[in-house]
Amino acid sequence: MDTELNSSLSLKRYVGFSILSLLGALFVAWLWPREAKTPEERQALAEGRVIITYWARHTGHEYEARKSLIDEFNRSQNRIYVRTVVIGSRIEKLLTAIAGAAPPDICSMGTSVLAQLALQGCFTPLEDRMKECPYLEEKDFFPHAWKMVCFDGHVWGIITTIDTTCLLWNKNAFRKAGLDPEKPPKTIAELEEYAAKLTIRSAAGIEQYGFVPWQPWDQTFLWGVMFGGKWWDENTGLLTCGSDPAIIRSLAWQQSFSIDPRSNSNPPYAVDPARTSQGRLGGAYQSANNPFYTGKVAMITEGEWQCTFIPKYAPDLDWGVAPVPQPEEVPPICNSQDGVADAIPSGSRHADEAWEFLKWFYSPRPDGRPSPASDYCMLIHNIPPRKEEALQERFIGDPKFGVFVRQLLERPAASFPTIPAAQFLSDIMDEQREQLLYRVVTPEQAAQTIEQATNAETRAAWKLAGRINP
Amino acid sequence: MANKHKFHWVAHLCLLSASVTFVAPFLWMVSTSLKSEARIFPKAGGPPQWIPTADRLDTQGRRIVKVLEGPFAGKQGVELSAHEGERHEILVEGKTIALWPEEFEVEQRLGFQWKNYVAALQKMDFINNLRNTLFICVFCVVGTVISSGLVAYSFARIPWKGRNVVFLCVLATMMIPYQVTLIPLFAVYRSLGWVGTFKPLIIPSFFGVPFYIFLLRQFFMGIPEDMSAAARIDGCSEFGIFLRIIAPLAKPAFATTGLFTFLFEWGDFLNPLIYLQDDRQYTLAIALQQFQSHHESAWGPLMAMSTLITLPIIVLFFLTQRTFIQGITMTGLKG
Amino acid sequence: MTRMERRNLVNGLLFASPYILGFLLFMLYPLAMSFYYSFCQYNVIAKPIWIGWDNYHELFRDSDFTTALYNTLYFTVFSVPLSLAFSIGLALLLNQKVNGMSIYRTIFFLPTIVPVVASAVLWLWVLTPDGGLLNGLLLQFFGIRGPGWIADPAWSKPSLILMNLWTVGTAVVIFLAGLAEVPKELYEVADIDGAGPWGKFRNVTLPLITPTILFNLVMGLIAAFQYFTQVYVMTNGTGSPAKSTLLYALYLYKTSFNYLKMGYASAMAWLLFLVIFAATVLVMVSSKRWVHYHGE
Repeated sequence: MDTELNSSLSLKRYVGFSILSLLGALFVAWLWPREAKTPEERQALAEGRVIITYWARHTGHEYEARKSLIDEFNRSQNRIYVRTVVIGSRIEKLLTAIAGAAPPDICSMGTSVLAQLALQGCFTPLEDRMKECPYLEEKDFFPHAWKMVCFDGHVWGIITTIDTTCLLWNKNAFRKAGLDPEKPPKTIAELEEYAAKLTIRSAAGIEQYGFVPWQPWDQTFLWGVMFGGKWWDENTGLLTCGSDPAIIRSLAWQQSFSIDPRSNSNPPYAVDPARTSQGRLGGAYQSANNPFYTGKVAMITEGEWQCTFIPKYAPDLDWGVAPVPQPEEVPPICNSQDGVADAIPSGSRHADEAWEFLKWFYSPRPDGRPSPASDYCMLIHNIPPRKEEALQERFIGDPKFGVFVRQLLERPAASFPTIPAAQFLSDIMDEQREQLLYRVVTPEQAAQTIEQATNAETRAAWKLAGRINP
Repeated sequence: MANKHKFHWVAHLCLLSASVTFVAPFLWMVSTSLKSEARIFPKAGGPPQWIPTADRLDTQGRRIVKVLEGPFAGKQGVELSAHEGERHEILVEGKTIALWPEEFEVEQRLGFQWKNYVAALQKMDFINNLRNTLFICVFCVVGTVISSGLVAYSFARIPWKGRNVVFLCVLATMMIPYQVTLIPLFAVYRSLGWVGTFKPLIIPSFFGVPFYIFLLRQFFMGIPEDMSAAARIDGCSEFGIFLRIIAPLAKPAFATTGLFTFLFEWGDFLNPLIYLQDDRQYTLAIALQQFQSHHESAWGPLMAMSTLITLPIIVLFFLTQRTFIQGITMTGLKG
Repeated sequence: MTRMERRNLVNGLLFASPYILGFLLFMLYPLAMSFYYSFCQYNVIAKPIWIGWDNYHELFRDSDFTTALYNTLYFTVFSVPLSLAFSIGLALLLNQKVNGMSIYRTIFFLPTIVPVVASAVLWLWVLTPDGGLLNGLLLQFFGIRGPGWIADPAWSKPSLILMNLWTVGTAVVIFLAGLAEVPKELYEVADIDGAGPWGKFRNVTLPLITPTILFNLVMGLIAAFQYFTQVYVMTNGTGSPAKSTLLYALYLYKTSFNYLKMGYASAMAWLLFLVIFAATVLVMVSSKRWVHYHGE
């Protein structure tokens, strides 16, 4: 009896075990990686097309927009097939691939890392190829946009999109403060006056900030430009801000917005830096949780992308756009700090085909429709870097987006220095500005430190590349 | 008995109050995943919304509002027109008045936006991403549990010369930040021809993972020595002792190892990003970045996707936690 | 060497062979290279140039390095013991025989599995100086105007430590598994001896979970010294405000991947290794006094 029970039990166990392992095997078979190629890719391979790889820095809907245009290219001819891979902003991926001699054929990246990588010979110079293309000449681009991809006498990429900064203001807040909601501040003096009127204090702290120069992130570069300062010398590739009176004025002006604990005559718009550090107003995280949406801050300096996001995330917000205020005596200028560019890594095995694709992407379509590149800018609501394209009705026609575009057409623009130490520069600007707000350093010292430390870094980068900077 | 009862109440109270803070991020994530874009961020000065709502509409699709200021304050009306930069026209008690957005509020009803989930699933190759993730997870769990168990046994139960030094080396490899070994490691995998495949993500786990080697070692050391001694006298080999005595007794520790490995691989972002070279090989964690573009995060779909990624783990944890928490008791082992 | 010793050595190496093999295959070269880089000027792409001890000398002149080291020590010194005590407390609570315990356990584990992008947003909002949840509660119930939390250089590190307390789920689970190994009979014996709850904890539970305490302590140390992801996401990789959250691993990341000073970063990494190693050896050596293995 006992043994019978045992054997039936073990039989049951045996059957159960078999069924489980069978299911497990089936599951693993289902999981087993299949051919990663899509049907289109397989077909392209069968047709004997050259397959090239494109690494996209943009993610999300921006990547989808790019992919749809690349699909169009793949359909348009039968010699090349472009395979897209989304990479995102983590630079480790690109660096390991380049260092490990396994780079893509084309990659897109922020212009801030371009010079740094170009100095190490990571990319193929494009100027000779660009000369042959009638739409990619220097004169087609905004001058500052062209400079974003130039470094060390070469052109290292094709700029895809650029950005620019404007002042956004909350019209309801203006109304409540008794200000004309259709009249934004135009000068720095007006900005201060408005900021004072729009700052609402209560026992619980500050209910509404009028204006905070270091929101939504560090804007030291912007303010230097707006005050008419020159951050660097394009010929030597070195910073000159340390002795630039306009830069020092802009730093002092930023400092005036931070409460001096030792003074009892702080301006009415001054705020506590320890409650307003960049990106920390209203729990801001990226731009979507912008304190401007929630009415926490009445005026803010922001980029053109807000034209898409505000209607989506804060549809009830009544807001306006105007150029960033400047001191009265300074001639109008605007800033256009960063861009995204396409480059061909020097290890690319199909540089000619990669160029073929880029040429297609940046030229108007054969049937006369605008270039895929400008469609891309439209799809992701960024500004195209070529004047002709920026003039298209779809960019300039929008009442708000148009303000951003028009300022680039009407004013000269300053872009971030294209130096190998660009990332270092942006970090040290942030750092010195904070020191300034806490009154650890004076504006003069901050400007000096930024210049000296960055130049030392730049020289070191050149030296490491076995070169001496010009 | 009454004392015990009282103790239970105290425990419940402690646990409940602490739970609130621990469950909050999850609830917030789920709640955001069910909101429309315009409701994700709290209005000026207002508290965040935990329960998703939508505007109340009348039969003609007009928004029902409550007037906040002016002579009609407190009255209900319907919104006739809404143009940006202008006063909204509101119909109250048969009269049409014009108000600024802050002078009235739109009445709310409960409203879940399932469209975020639709968007999330449409946007990404969910099944494919899931399959890739599970593939990595399953093999890493198998590899880690077996290999780490064997290595841990060596450190815990076999008194060999130099084991403490080697064990310290195992710990030491965890102390070098990944940033400085990433590039040479990539070179190793490239020379093996593994870049662009799942191999760099899976095969190393078959060679023992320091974290779990240490964890299992601690548990193996807690098992009475006399048990293995008895087996050894019976002529059992070391491997037999490991398989028949130690492994069954350390089931909770093995279950913990398996679960943690699964969790880690499920959420790992950087390694798959570095070694996989095709969108179609990508895992769920990488796919999550599809909702964060250069300037914007698509909060609704992002949170919907995060919820979808988190839910299986919650279920897995809920179902398996008994295994490693009730675990074994040493009953019958004593004496 | 006796036969027994030889057999043990062979068996021990045999069982440890997966790790030894894996180490030789996948880890030795990267580790050796990074050690070599630490004596080089190396920018990831060009060939490394040997410069001897220069990187290490440079470290002690670098004020950011000192700041990062200080921040990390501060974080580790407070965070590790606090998290340890908190996770033991939670584990004891979660080890009670109370209805619905599986649900509680799952809840306390939740923060460890919610993706960082989701939890970071929530934390940023909770810790917002004006209008954030925490300061809102402080004002409402205590009438105090709370500090600037992560916006304030003086409060940002305590904020990080607070946030870290909240992801103790992993340690709690390990403690629970450790508690499961405590033989019930010992409690019965303690009951007979008339021990109270504290006495039982002090004399039965605590000694028996010392192996798990050792594990969580060492792992906590290693993790705290390399704490990275949460700060990287929350500060956008800047270590703001005023470098108060520039932790060692974050500075290391910036040095290696943003400034491409891989040689310098390697020197930093090996120095950090020395610090962690020393701390771990200290703990391991002292553990002989306070860790009790039931098996011995």
